[in-house]
Amino acid sequence: MTARAAGTTLASAAPSPLAELARSARIVVCCGSGGVGKTSTAAAVALWAAESGRRTCVLTIDPARRLAQALGLDLLSNAPRPVRAKGLSTRGPGSLDAMMLDMRRTFDEVIERYARDAEQADRILANRFYQRLSSTLAGTQEYMAMEKLYELHESQRYDLLVVDTPPTRSALDFLDAPDNLNELLDARAFRLLIAPAQRIGRGYLRGLNLATTAMTKMVRRVTGSELLAEVGEFFAAFEGMYDGFKERAGLVYDQLKHPSTAFVVVATPDGAALREAAYFAGRLAADRMPLGALVVNRIHQAGPVPQVPAAARRRLAAAGADGRLLADLLELHDGLETLAAAEQRRVRDLLATVPNLGVVQVPLLADDVHDLAGLRRLGAHLFA
Amino acid sequence: MGCPQGRGGYDGATMLEVLDQARLLVVTGKGGTGKTTVAAGLAVAAAGRGRRVLVAEVEGRQGLAGLFGRRQLDHREARVAQGVNALAVDPDESLREYLAGYGFAPLARLLSWAHLNRFITAAAPGLGDVLLVGKVWEAATREARSGSGPPGGYDLVVLDAPPTGRVVPFLRAPETVAELARVGPIRHQADRVRDLLDDPERTAVVLTCLPEELPVAETLEGVAALREAGLPVAAVVANQVTGDRLGGRAGRLAALAKDPAPLAAAAAAAGARLDRAALGTLLDEARGRQRVVARERRLLKELRAGVDGLPVVELPFLGGGAGGPEEVRALAGHLAPGGLWTAAGTSSGRRLPSRSGAPASRGGAPASRGSDDAHPEAGEAGG
Repeated sequence: MTARAAGTTLASAAPSPLAELARSARIVVCCGSGGVGKTSTAAAVALWAAESGRRTCVLTIDPARRLAQALGLDLLSNAPRPVRAKGLSTRGPGSLDAMMLDMRRTFDEVIERYARDAEQADRILANRFYQRLSSTLAGTQEYMAMEKLYELHESQRYDLLVVDTPPTRSALDFLDAPDNLNELLDARAFRLLIAPAQRIGRGYLRGLNLATTAMTKMVRRVTGSELLAEVGEFFAAFEGMYDGFKERAGLVYDQLKHPSTAFVVVATPDGAALREAAYFAGRLAADRMPLGALVVNRIHQAGPVPQVPAAARRRLAAAGADGRLLADLLELHDGLETLAAAEQRRVRDLLATVPNLGVVQVPLLADDVHDLAGLRRLGAHLFA
Repeated sequence: MGCPQGRGGYDGATMLEVLDQARLLVVTGKGGTGKTTVAAGLAVAAAGRGRRVLVAEVEGRQGLAGLFGRRQLDHREARVAQGVNALAVDPDESLREYLAGYGFAPLARLLSWAHLNRFITAAAPGLGDVLLVGKVWEAATREARSGSGPPGGYDLVVLDAPPTGRVVPFLRAPETVAELARVGPIRHQADRVRDLLDDPERTAVVLTCLPEELPVAETLEGVAALREAGLPVAAVVANQVTGDRLGGRAGRLAALAKDPAPLAAAAAAAGARLDRAALGTLLDEARGRQRVVARERRLLKELRAGVDGLPVVELPFLGGGAGGPEEVRALAGHLAPGGLWTAAGTSSGRRLPSRSGAPASRGGAPASRGSDDAHPEAGEAGG
């Protein structure tokens, strides 16, 4: 192991790409795998923007308890509330609101919005298939976060909305969710399966209907009959709502693709987290979503220490207690340097796969971020 | 290699019992805590102790493939290391198999003809989970059901399960759906799946954790939820624990930070050319690390206090992980320390640790915890 005098530093000649985003973007979506500091990053971006004079709202999904308390988010609420934290110093028109998203409630609100009347809404909300659907279909909950985001964006109450996505690989499934939902609601074949025979009038369909009746019987034998009945009721109740739903999904999707939106991929220099980041970046590129920046939290750094030859190290180790301690310190430093170099290599490897992606590296901070001071310390690195 | 003092008994002995005796090992944990890597490590460790192992993932993430140096895994069980097969369970394929198994093969063909598989597994309440759990159950009980151990029977199935927030609904999905189907094959299978999952003689749930605030809090919640659901929690694996090389010398470090003269003298005497700035850097780095070690200790203490007697196995930080076969072997070596390939410290009639929280067996295995992160010990597990 060699110890070079240079040490490792985080090159930051260019201005932070995040600063530009926080100044001009209308929507910032933070995504990345779990435990990489996504929520803290989102909150730090929002705080920085608010304190720079923008009307800002941060939507979060599952914040750490203490951070949530710091932002005054001790309850799920489906409406933004002003952050009343000690030491918050917004400038000019700047303000900071926060909201912890209740995704299920948002889905319910969408149903209520598109239902013909309260009776139709109630029928759907009470349906057991709907209740399971709204929590199990891949990406649905995440999509509902985007739906809420769009609603707030439309309200024009904010200059900047910052949202973090759930800490799962499927976080970007919301990009598919409109398609999934549309496919589901448009599943004509399935409607055939469950439709009563008399509703299919045309002759050539009768043969198919006989086949589907046989299928229905088999499905019933496997799954039990109540399930199919619930599904049937759901589709019946949903009748007529489909078009409004689909149109809205298109609007949400267009807003996400708009140049005033920026996706920020958050990671740590851990191999697995960076692989996830590469996956997210690739996924966003494939959907032509505006990729804003990569944030790599918890970077290890080794300071500059001249190389100490092995012979001198042996003499140190053989000397008194302080000599042995110094030998151990040198060895720790070597380990840190090796680790820092490996991390930089992994970050470079990732950047090589994503052209023109601005990167912000944040060193490992001594403490967990759980108050405004912590968010500002994080912000100092994010916007340096 | 440091061998930290003042912790609980050697928990790894219990992990060896689990590796030697369980039929189904369910690995869960908060995202980012190394769940998949630990699952792979446990599989390789068990194989190294002579068991035929299948490791299965169920979330379509292809997390296992890279750990075994593969590009991709699919629904076919493939050999990925000595004694280890791996499988990415796929709901569509499971549905097809399931329907065929119950004599509904024509229905399976009709469904795929109408492109309804994805719809059914994605939208039918929990049905996807039922199929995934069912497939894992099938693999874990294959030999027992067919009698004389045909090729493809396993001694142990390691399940890389969904994260803690989702694992109970996942494992209980067969029950949930069976509520809708009071009779018939789904009900019947749900009962048998439950028999396996609830049996502490056959099933062990392991949670992965990091020595950080949020993961510890979520692990405590996860353990409580799993116990509440009656699932046999066996151990917590605390991953990426920073080694304590400087233990007991914190006071001296603080004194030297104020006045590094003795350190400068030692350096000069040994012919190491380190000026004040360099010594300051070294001391800062060391004290930064000590703060990390102290915080991790505090959190691990909270974790141990909170899990109420459950063994907590510590794994050293292995450099953040390129995440390949080498890292898996290294982890396996720490989970089942090298050289102990006999079943020392275990006796066949013993129950797996159950949720009553039997204390960890002491002794019987060399401590491997606390090795320094810059020098991971290569494990000797097969693969």
